[in-house]
Amino acid sequence: MSRLELLTPEGLRVDGRRPNELRKIIAKTSVLAQADGSAYIEQGNTKVLAAVYGPQEVRHRMQILHDRAIINVEFNVAPFSTSERKKRSKNDKYDNGIKLQTSQFPRSQIDIYLQVLQHDGGTLQACINAATMALIDAGIPMIDYVCASTAGCIDKQPVLDLNYLEESSDSPELTVAILPRTGKVNLMSMESRLHVDMLESVASLATEGCEQIHTILDAVVRDTTQHLKDSLMQ
Amino acid sequence: MPYLSQAERDYITEGVQSDLRADGRGRLDYRALVLETGIISQANGSARVRLGDGTDVLVGVKVEIDQVEPDADNVGKVVCNVECSPSASQQFEGHGADDLNNELTQALQRVLGGPQCGINFEKLCIIKGQQCWIVYIDAMILDYSGNVLDTIFMATKAALFNTRIPKTQIQDLGDGEFEFEVLDDVEDAERLDGIENIPIGVTLNKIGTGHIIDASPLEELCTEAKLTIAVNKDSQICGIQKGAEGGIEPGLMSEMIQTAKRIGQSLIQQLDQKLQDEEQQVDEKRLNGENIEKLGFFAMV
Repeated sequence: MSRLELLTPEGLRVDGRRPNELRKIIAKTSVLAQADGSAYIEQGNTKVLAAVYGPQEVRHRMQILHDRAIINVEFNVAPFSTSERKKRSKNDKYDNGIKLQTSQFPRSQIDIYLQVLQHDGGTLQACINAATMALIDAGIPMIDYVCASTAGCIDKQPVLDLNYLEESSDSPELTVAILPRTGKVNLMSMESRLHVDMLESVASLATEGCEQIHTILDAVVRDTTQHLKDSLMQ
Repeated sequence: MPYLSQAERDYITEGVQSDLRADGRGRLDYRALVLETGIISQANGSARVRLGDGTDVLVGVKVEIDQVEPDADNVGKVVCNVECSPSASQQFEGHGADDLNNELTQALQRVLGGPQCGINFEKLCIIKGQQCWIVYIDAMILDYSGNVLDTIFMATKAALFNTRIPKTQIQDLGDGEFEFEVLDDVEDAERLDGIENIPIGVTLNKIGTGHIIDASPLEELCTEAKLTIAVNKDSQICGIQKGAEGGIEPGLMSEMIQTAKRIGQSLIQQLDQKLQDEEQQVDEKRLNGENIEKLGFFAMV
């Protein structure tokens, strides 16, 4: 256990946030020229770039699904993204439970490439949010946004959106992804120990975080679309 | 990679002949570039260069302490690595980029790995015969629209300009034994020695009888032969690499080298000016206690 004080007596966290406060999120779509859809998102110091190609012909014919599209996700971490330089294998794959209307594109493939440029906790949530934005940018019909957020527990106090320091100091971290409109949970993942009595409050805090993220991302998408519309009208 | 029809090929070749390229540039015109340094806080130095509406390169520099090589015990070293992200092109998925990664890594390593790059390698040594700094240069290609190698060189020069190496304090323990301490103070960190001499690469593509710089992807497809020349600010040539299948006439070769020298000079001047301006702005903001906002991907229109 680290001796670092993660929660001050006044209830502030190491980076000065309150327990139920998200880090600053900025996002932008259409950042790349080659990809069909792309997005860049910063959640605090975690920076992720996502590119989407497709729907297109399936590359390996064996994988063809006759009634829907297959989704291929590749995840890559930049060697300089963490405090220690490491070369990582390319094939750490996340299945991020994106909800697409895949049945509209039988016998095709959608590729999602995720690139972590800087890592400061909550990579999975940032990747999911970036992928959602890139898919929207690519114009692929989706049932809803998939918004993800993390929550953890420090000194029995549920906290939202852990950064790297909090994540690495033995505090449990739960990632939740939801479809904001129906509130359905799409993904829930935790790789540490948390008392079952706390689970509900932590999960509901994470869900709250997802809804906040949804508002932010939706505003970005609407803004971009409005901008596009305005430039077309001129 | 798209295929090129004969008609397209002729169109591009004729264009080069008459000094008017498809995007309106002349043979020796460069595209506009966006440059920003210090965008990755976990790295000792970083830079992102976006060339035209496409090619996007992010370079992160990290310095680490390691044992010296037994056969060269008073120098540190520079290790380069280039990775093409699949976000740049679908072809780079899985192991699809391995060949290109190797090619670009080698090209960068050949220029920056030796004394021709101008960095004072002896200054990277902390204790002779024991420990030294290793400078890891990692370049990532995030988006692709031609002329990648030149962009990598430029981003690398910018990232190295941005790099600060922590100071070390050596203690003499007697009996020829030494110990050192890395000073934590950020203010104390120093720039690499000889940074101003780092060369940049200029790639000339021979199309028809003419040659062009800063080729677009389609122009790269029509290239018969290409020549990458590394030049430093004193217009010394620090490396030459010939690529693609075709040959280059001896007369044209020396003409191309002269062009590269001239272009390289003006590019280095502009790059240095840009870097200095940016640094000055950051310093000013720091003095006034203002927040330094990095634009990153938001820098584009």
